[in-house]
Amino acid sequence: MTMLREIYQYREMVFSLIKRDLRGRYKGSALGFLWTFLNPLFQLLVYSFVFGTVMGAAYPKYYLYLFVALIPWLFFSTSLVGGAGCIYAQKDMVNKIYFPREVLPLVHVTCQLINMLLSFVVLFAVIVVTRHGVNFLALCYLPIIMLVEYMLALGFTLIVSAVTVFLRDVQYVLNIVVMAWQFLSPVMYGLDRIPQRLQGIFLWNPMAPVLLAYRDILYEKKIPDLSTLTMACVMGIVLLAVGLVVFEKLKKHFSEEL
Amino acid sequence: MRDDVSIEVKNVSKSFRVFVDRGNTLKERVLFSKRRKYEHRQVLKDISFTVRRGEAIGLIGHNGCGKSTTLKLLTKIIYPDSGSIQIKGRVSSLIELGAGFHPDMSGRENIYINAAIFGLTRKEIDERLEDIIAFSELEDFIDNPVRTYSSGMYMRLAFSVAINVDAEVLLIDEILAVGDANFQIKCFNKLKEIKASGTTIVIVSHSLAQIEQICERSIWIHEGLVRMEGKPWEVHPAYLDYMGKKRQAIAEKDAMRAAAGRDKPRQKGDPSLQQVDEENLKRWGNGKARIVDAWLLNEEGKPQKLFETGKDILLRMKYQVKEPVEDAVFGIGFFQEHGVRCYGTNTRLDGLADFTLTKDGAVEVLLKEVPLLPGLYTVDLTIELADGIPVDYYREVMKIEFFSQDRAIGIAQIKHKWRLDENVEGYEARKGEDAASGKDGQDERV
Repeated sequence: MTMLREIYQYREMVFSLIKRDLRGRYKGSALGFLWTFLNPLFQLLVYSFVFGTVMGAAYPKYYLYLFVALIPWLFFSTSLVGGAGCIYAQKDMVNKIYFPREVLPLVHVTCQLINMLLSFVVLFAVIVVTRHGVNFLALCYLPIIMLVEYMLALGFTLIVSAVTVFLRDVQYVLNIVVMAWQFLSPVMYGLDRIPQRLQGIFLWNPMAPVLLAYRDILYEKKIPDLSTLTMACVMGIVLLAVGLVVFEKLKKHFSEEL
Repeated sequence: MRDDVSIEVKNVSKSFRVFVDRGNTLKERVLFSKRRKYEHRQVLKDISFTVRRGEAIGLIGHNGCGKSTTLKLLTKIIYPDSGSIQIKGRVSSLIELGAGFHPDMSGRENIYINAAIFGLTRKEIDERLEDIIAFSELEDFIDNPVRTYSSGMYMRLAFSVAINVDAEVLLIDEILAVGDANFQIKCFNKLKEIKASGTTIVIVSHSLAQIEQICERSIWIHEGLVRMEGKPWEVHPAYLDYMGKKRQAIAEKDAMRAAAGRDKPRQKGDPSLQQVDEENLKRWGNGKARIVDAWLLNEEGKPQKLFETGKDILLRMKYQVKEPVEDAVFGIGFFQEHGVRCYGTNTRLDGLADFTLTKDGAVEVLLKEVPLLPGLYTVDLTIELADGIPVDYYREVMKIEFFSQDRAIGIAQIKHKWRLDENVEGYEARKGEDAASGKDGQDERV
């Protein structure tokens, strides 16, 4: 509890580091902030060309089917891969100044969240242009599922960023793990492609219910399954709690290791 | 913890794992787990001290004694193995300046980032912004990106933020090497101002002079323990003395090694040379030369103890040389009760070449129009080496008393003049009086 109060006390640090990250990112590049939109757009083009046109589309409007899950997935994966090194990268600061260490992963994950929200602008533009239409009642569930994903991403990032301080390999191992994880998650395909008997195990992947919920809301235009939603919520809360506890345990020794 | 205590350190110990061959990758951890040898190095053994609110203390000690570790513990960057540390109020540290600075962002934006890292809220930063910019003297450049700053400007901005945090506790590690000489003086004065406003300050520094100017108390940390604690002018000579002896021991060892080649038995030093008057901690030094007598003489050359403020005083000291001393420096110091230093100087500060003492002699110093206000003072006399190592550091050699018609308060008399303009009531009347006493509306006092 004291930890949460302290993070609140340092809220201005969180805000200004987020601002610094977002503003500093594309400084000096010709297209600047536009890259935030161009990146997901190009990814969409590549993915839908390969998996829609080349491999043959399994779903109607495959680009959209893919897009609504790909953007949330990119939020999660960049949180983890980039977040692993977020404490190590700031070792000068960690070694010299006191501040609640949770701030660093928090800032990183929040930046990725903001990026996702900006990508959603592109997503909604695509939805409008293709006349896909939206279900406004279902859209009400979008903030909930974003919050759940945010908790998941934060929980995992807390763990990997703390462990990376002691074991630098984690950073590189994560690259491989995240790639495998993407193919094991319903990003490019749906639950219908998984054999019935494996579906139980498949859904143990904390990202699976989250991605399915995004697709329900935006692609199927329906309110997500209550069971899917509950499962996602529980996993989000549990992981965040585990992340905070692990981080709290490890953070006292950061400075000695760095 | 008592109310007036700001920092309490109780029986703190800390050890580090020092790796002989450290590996942080998986391969190294798994394959070479045996090779990852380390030893526990106990940096702090059992340190306890308290700092009262508004007090300034200095931590001194040779390299690796644990003083920086103590500061890191206070900052909560690292945590003690055992014991407890309690600090009341917000802590700011002048350890890492310019944390979080982004080169592409403007000075103003960087102030916000940097101050936020110290835990300030937006409102608090807004309130301090003007002060910070004014202190940094960067008004004209504050909206330029920081990458266009010179390193001096960069440090000035960083220092301005850190020092304007208004923390209850300020921790400082080897500072005041920021900017040009002018800015350093400014920083120093700001520190004094901060201290006067009731901030608790802990300084780690190799510059004993800086500590003496700011701190009431010095803590000498030696091999993980508090070796000595007290007023800076009591602790520092003892510390310098220790360091001097240590250096001498190293020099002797070197000499021995050199001599061993020639197989010549080395003459042991006269043990009496090491004698120091340790019973009341008023005298330190290697004893190669000793102050044996000292007088205060009035303008007619007569010894006396009572002087009128503003009169010349001749101070004469006699010394004995037991072993030749090279690079000797003579020093004097005047102290008020409670150890307030009123004035101190030495031949080196006055630009006189360092002396070589080979035989007994005397030194005189003529003090012109000594402006000390009425009261009792003590006099310190010193013979030191050029690098500050005491040969004979003699505290409170004698007392001196001043008297005067002047009933002003303080330490020293400042020559001054009052000027009243005609809007002040009673001016006319005063003018009349002054006319009577032959003055012209000005009261002059010397």
